[in-house]
Amino acid sequence: MYSQKVMEHFRNPRNVGEIKDADGIGKVGNPVCVPPDTSIIVRNSIHQIGNLKNSDMVLSHDGDFHKIDRIFNRRYTGTILKIKTRLGTTTLTPDHMVFGFEVPKRNKYRYTKGKKELIKNLAWLHAYELNKGDIVAYPIPNKILDVKEIETNVEKSKHDFKSFEIPPRISVDGDFMRFAGYFLAEGRTRMERSKTYAELTFNINEEDKVVDVCQLVRKIFGIEPKIERIQKKKAIKVLIYSVHVARFLRKLFGKVNEKHIPEFMMYLPLEKQAELIKGLWYGGGYLDLKRPRASYSTISEELAHQIKILLLRQGIIPSVYEEQERASEGTRHRKAYRIFVLHTPSLMKLSSILSVDLNLRKKSRSEAWIEDNVLFTPITSVEKINYSGLVYNLEVKDAHSYLTPSLALHNCGDLMWIYIKVKDNRIEDIKFKTFGCGAAIATSSMITELAKGKTIEEALKITRQDVADALGGLPPIKMHCSNLAADGLKAAILDYMKKKGIKPPEGIKIESETDADHCNV
Amino acid sequence: MSTSESIIYMDYASASRTDPRVIEAMIPYMKDYFGNPSSPHTSGLKMKGALEEARASVARLINADRPSEIVFTSGATESNNMALRGVAFRNKDRGNHIVATKIEHISVLNTLKYLMKFGFEVTYVPVDGYGLVDLEALKNAINERTILVTIGYANNEVGTIQQIKEISEIVHSKNAYLHTDATAAVGKIPVDVLEDGIDLMTISSWDMYGPYGIGALYIKRGTRIEPLIIGGGQEGGLRSGTENVPGAVGMAKAAELAMAEMGSDASRLSKMRDRLIDGILKSIPHSFLNGHPTRRLPHNVNVRFSFVEGESLVLSLDMEGIAVSSGSACSSKTLEPSHVLIAMGIPHVEAQGSLLMSLGRFSKDEDVDKVLEVLPRIVKGLREMSPLTPEEVR
Repeated sequence: MYSQKVMEHFRNPRNVGEIKDADGIGKVGNPVCVPPDTSIIVRNSIHQIGNLKNSDMVLSHDGDFHKIDRIFNRRYTGTILKIKTRLGTTTLTPDHMVFGFEVPKRNKYRYTKGKKELIKNLAWLHAYELNKGDIVAYPIPNKILDVKEIETNVEKSKHDFKSFEIPPRISVDGDFMRFAGYFLAEGRTRMERSKTYAELTFNINEEDKVVDVCQLVRKIFGIEPKIERIQKKKAIKVLIYSVHVARFLRKLFGKVNEKHIPEFMMYLPLEKQAELIKGLWYGGGYLDLKRPRASYSTISEELAHQIKILLLRQGIIPSVYEEQERASEGTRHRKAYRIFVLHTPSLMKLSSILSVDLNLRKKSRSEAWIEDNVLFTPITSVEKINYSGLVYNLEVKDAHSYLTPSLALHNCGDLMWIYIKVKDNRIEDIKFKTFGCGAAIATSSMITELAKGKTIEEALKITRQDVADALGGLPPIKMHCSNLAADGLKAAILDYMKKKGIKPPEGIKIESETDADHCNV
Repeated sequence: MSTSESIIYMDYASASRTDPRVIEAMIPYMKDYFGNPSSPHTSGLKMKGALEEARASVARLINADRPSEIVFTSGATESNNMALRGVAFRNKDRGNHIVATKIEHISVLNTLKYLMKFGFEVTYVPVDGYGLVDLEALKNAINERTILVTIGYANNEVGTIQQIKEISEIVHSKNAYLHTDATAAVGKIPVDVLEDGIDLMTISSWDMYGPYGIGALYIKRGTRIEPLIIGGGQEGGLRSGTENVPGAVGMAKAAELAMAEMGSDASRLSKMRDRLIDGILKSIPHSFLNGHPTRRLPHNVNVRFSFVEGESLVLSLDMEGIAVSSGSACSSKTLEPSHVLIAMGIPHVEAQGSLLMSLGRFSKDEDVDKVLEVLPRIVKGLREMSPLTPEEVR
């Protein structure tokens, strides 16, 4: 697997150890890297990384939930990357590792077939290695846990003698799930003094849906809903005057502007989840048969993410766009998340869930696909932005990876510390310490040989590729993860310059730097 | 023993060596005899006879009720595929739920993933820190839709032997089938399918010093299963394709040798195993045994060393002429360390520093001496290099 030169450096690593009175120390590996407002998937909802706790369970690239072991943060000034895919945008430092594979130029214009062959290259890549058109892998949580019924569990207040009783247990069947969909789309609970009720608002020409909702309310809660027509607003309201129903629905789905799907529903069998999608789309979704597309819009980021996961579980590939806050025709539109389904096979699946006949003769060409519960989707843009502030990272038990709403991120396990002694602007002595595989040790050893005796300026020019070349090449997977030595050297030199008050030359950046305190595992 | 005199081979779990006596037994069936076992002429009948004798030998090794319960396949991976896919598809009218553990062989895990595409649901029951299946959790995981439970007889990587009899009682009380991948166990420890109550069992040939390219699946009579490979209806219609008679003869010879020598092999190897484990744990600080201390395959040693990385250990031992494996992530493409160690709750960084040394019939006492002589020095060297090593350990 390794070249002779690599093995030779592994066998006799040069310059192992530390320099007690080093002029500069560079510590790289296990990098620390996303801004504090980055959304992370915790259980089945999403949280900003800056607000996470140690006990939280995050979703990892294996599609399972794992406990956070530690949370790191540090101050960072420099470039960060904004990577966009159809699932959303993630901002991260260039050294963070992302699950995906590169698509060489000659394959960029080929559609999925040509790209599927490249799955064999699936690995963790540094964010800075990724470009528009490269494919990222996003695992779809596929756990199934059926729930037959739930308790309504609403407390009756002491002086309440008149409100309707509702069943103590409600069966979680297709009907209930469809009602949940309708409610998430069009419902709200009002909790005013002496007037607590739930309502669902439809357009005046959605009479058929009103009928459906009314029969569901009767069946599920045993309550006769009231119907109110408001001609001026062209609306029909279905009103459920029951404290118990209102409290129950509030507990399940949250307030109107922070609606979410309760966790247990995220694991239900696909047939039940399909009913939720049906209710959701019947209530607030949009399906255009002429220009074949479907969409759903919500102001709740969490709900948008959950709908995305429900669709992916059904094998439907959505795209999610953020719509910024705006005002049009005198109405204020809040920041919203719009979920689109355009992809032909996905649209067919969705329309069959919605029991709508959709005859698509022309198939749109698709760039995303699902295989083995993983969505493969291309990067639509990579943007570099300057950032100064705190960045965060997580150490995740068992999996070492976590998901944002659009990417799977990973920490590389290798660690490398480089010590330098500088005399007359030349690297007089250099030593290293490394935890890692054969390649990590060999590259560390090689960089000490390459750098020794060089001037600071010359040493700064040594690249990862130079180290790999000097070793007679490295296996491709090791180029990404275990080739930290050039970064370690740069970090040591920058540390030296900082201590001496020398301004570093333009354009020198470290691809992967660690805060020293965070390395003592 | 001839070509690799200088190499100390302690990686029998990755690939074993075919016993020369097995090769001897196979040679006539490659050199002198040929013919299609399905043909009615003398040459064909000769091959058919050899095949059926081979089947009987393999059946005897695991105490199967009758030879026809043994189906020859191309190896353990095919046997696992056949057992899982064959039972799942044949019994989908009864249910769509399968129970497994997270420490199964990759051929089991990936076949289960494949079945999930067809609407089958899989529940993985947890294992404890030694790799033993949690029987309570198993009971709870099986429901009325469960058609199959698949749990390895013994783990190839950490050597833990499951309580298969207790498992089979639970499985059968819930009316499901029990499949066990006994690749690492058959020929190494006594396996009795009747006593243990096994419905389907994967048997490997090379793991018991037989030839490569053949294996078997034990299918208890009456088990509802459909074939994986369809064609001329050989092997009772369960595995088509002209039979690999030389392979079967070799596997049968390996089975006979195992029956005769299993006891002496196991007592010799388990002494070597214990000497290796004790020696390492005593001479190297911050080293730990992975897997169960007593319910353990006689040839399996799996230890981990804090602050060092497994691939570096493997490369360093290779320079000393010792071939071993590691649970390190660096040798895998996804940068994930061994799924077995992770499922047992061993922290990521610690799993990285794991070393699997598997002994075999041709291991010698001196091999253990050599490892015990060089390993402390290698670990010390890597620890001196590692930034993770605390000052007091250096």
